[in-house]
Amino acid sequence: MQDQTNVADIMMGDVVRLEDVLSRDSVTSVCKSFFGLFGLPVRVISHEGDLLADVHRDQPLCNYLNTLGEGELECARTVSVVRDMEPDVETIVHPCFTGAVYRIVPLEYQGRPIGRFIVGPYVPAERAQPPASLLSVDAGIDQTTACAHFDTMPRVREHIAEEISAHLKGVLELLLFSGHRAQLASTMQVASVRENYRELAEKNEALQSSFEKLKQLDQLKSTFLATVSHELRSPLTSIIGYTEMLESGAAGALSDGQAEFLGTIRNKADQLLGLISSLLDLGRLEAKSLDLNHERIDPHALLSDLAATVVPTANQRNVSLDIRVDDGTAKLWGDQVRVGQILLNLVDNAVKFSDQGGTVTVRAEDGEIDATGASGLGAALFTASRPAVVLTVQDDGMGIAEENLSKIFDAFYQIDAGTTRVHGGAGLGLSIVKQLVDGHEGKIEVTSTLGEGTIFSVTLPAADEDA
Amino acid sequence: MQIDFAAKELTVKLVYYGPALSGKTSNLRAIHWLGTSNACGELMTLETQNDRTLFFDMLPITVSSGSGLKVRLKLFTVPGQVMHNATRRLVLQGTDGVAFIADSQRSEADANRESFLNLKCNLEENGIDPERIPTIIQFNKRDMGSIRTDEELELIAQRSKEPIYKAVATRGYGVMQTLRGLIRDTWTKLERDHQLEEKFGISPIRFMTEVEAKLKHDPGPGGR
Repeated sequence: MQDQTNVADIMMGDVVRLEDVLSRDSVTSVCKSFFGLFGLPVRVISHEGDLLADVHRDQPLCNYLNTLGEGELECARTVSVVRDMEPDVETIVHPCFTGAVYRIVPLEYQGRPIGRFIVGPYVPAERAQPPASLLSVDAGIDQTTACAHFDTMPRVREHIAEEISAHLKGVLELLLFSGHRAQLASTMQVASVRENYRELAEKNEALQSSFEKLKQLDQLKSTFLATVSHELRSPLTSIIGYTEMLESGAAGALSDGQAEFLGTIRNKADQLLGLISSLLDLGRLEAKSLDLNHERIDPHALLSDLAATVVPTANQRNVSLDIRVDDGTAKLWGDQVRVGQILLNLVDNAVKFSDQGGTVTVRAEDGEIDATGASGLGAALFTASRPAVVLTVQDDGMGIAEENLSKIFDAFYQIDAGTTRVHGGAGLGLSIVKQLVDGHEGKIEVTSTLGEGTIFSVTLPAADEDA
Repeated sequence: MQIDFAAKELTVKLVYYGPALSGKTSNLRAIHWLGTSNACGELMTLETQNDRTLFFDMLPITVSSGSGLKVRLKLFTVPGQVMHNATRRLVLQGTDGVAFIADSQRSEADANRESFLNLKCNLEENGIDPERIPTIIQFNKRDMGSIRTDEELELIAQRSKEPIYKAVATRGYGVMQTLRGLIRDTWTKLERDHQLEEKFGISPIRFMTEVEAKLKHDPGPGGR
């Protein structure tokens, strides 16, 4: 129904065709009720000439006239004229040669003609006798029969017919208004949904396009980092090598001042090499191209090695190291070098951010990893846990504000610019740690209280007993 | 605008735009209530939820000119709530003039601005130049407390590109002046674009005189 209507008309809130808003069944039902009440025939015709309802009973007079040649012709002519009549604003009362009349009432909606209805034929009650035009319509007419049939025609006084028609017009207009309202509502509903969908689709497309661009940029960044890091490392290796040669006296004895300056050069070059190595790691991790060599790792050995590496720095800063491995802690399943790197980064950070006289506690104990971490409905069915080792690094330093906790694993993120100046670092360590932990299918969590310290918990899969 | 030369019929679409609860539907209700019954058709309120418009309201006004031209004015409102933007954009399609119903309360200044920007955006999306479409602004709710004063509105009117009207739509004050102003500006623009006088033999002045005669005057303060 709606696909035949004009969208522009709908957006103007117009009714295009009567049949678009009035169902034939409901109009017929109203007309039947009208016929039942008043006994008057009714036809409803659209502006385009379609018959929407036709409720009448064949009149004996009409049936009789249709048996006569001239009577049939005259009847057909009258019906044709009445049917084609379209009054502009005022009702037309069209006389029939039988003495009956047809009342043709225009239906107008929002200033436009939309159809009409025809009441009749009926005989105005004011007319007592059949007119001469009926009795002389055909040479073979039996006037007694015609008069008898004339008396059986529906009769109503004209002013009553006018009131009845006005009433029917009101009912049809009400139906029209309700139908139009329903049509507009459903059209708007569909159009709004389409418009919303179109808008969302456009936004999604724009977002997808931005996402693709960002992915490309990210890829470019990773490639750039990897290339630059690689290109930087080669000359830096030479700088370190030649510095070591100078320090070893390969080019002659050094004065104390020269040795001190060379020591500084080598120290800074080492720092730079560390940074470049981190950038390379990050690049590989982001490109998922870092190979991990999984093996069984003894937590005791892991933490002992760690202690040996970190103790000198901790001593320099007057920070105590408290290293504990719970009895019976399972062996880890991971890349020995990379797990060592994870711990070293965390402990190095903890020492760096501890105050003088503070303590850094490193602990290894048994734990579990939830494979899905699911909660809520059906969690019992979806959660699968496996044995793990939890490595905890706790400091009693300055702590991290809650709003910063979610960002500390972002690459190059520093809580504030001053941190870099005071403590050094490029903000890469925790990003690398997070990616390494993810690469081991482990998880890392952090809790912190400002002024009291921070606890990092790294949970890594335990090695199978028989692995 | 739709022109039917055969039927000598012109259909003009006018949209009442504005932020939520600024009184767009109240304007149409008042026009329906104040307008003469032979000109105004039935006010159609299409889908509401808690007395808030979901799609639109529509009021048809028919002015049969002495020159034989029949002008059908279709007045629409839009849903003001932010989430119904798609519907607002649809209703704006093919509009010939806009009455922006602003809330006079100081607290609603941001909502007015936001809605006006949204109007501009939606007009552009429909391919209508916001600079060229006849737009008038009505400051409604003049009976509320903490509103922009008449003096402030005078100053605003002096530098405003759009004509400014004042109204209390719930009481019918100023709504007919707003409507007449909107019809006048829209007709002037349509005359310029389509040479209606040449085509239908009706001058803008004569048309407005006939509109004035068809629509009853309301007694409120209103005016620029």
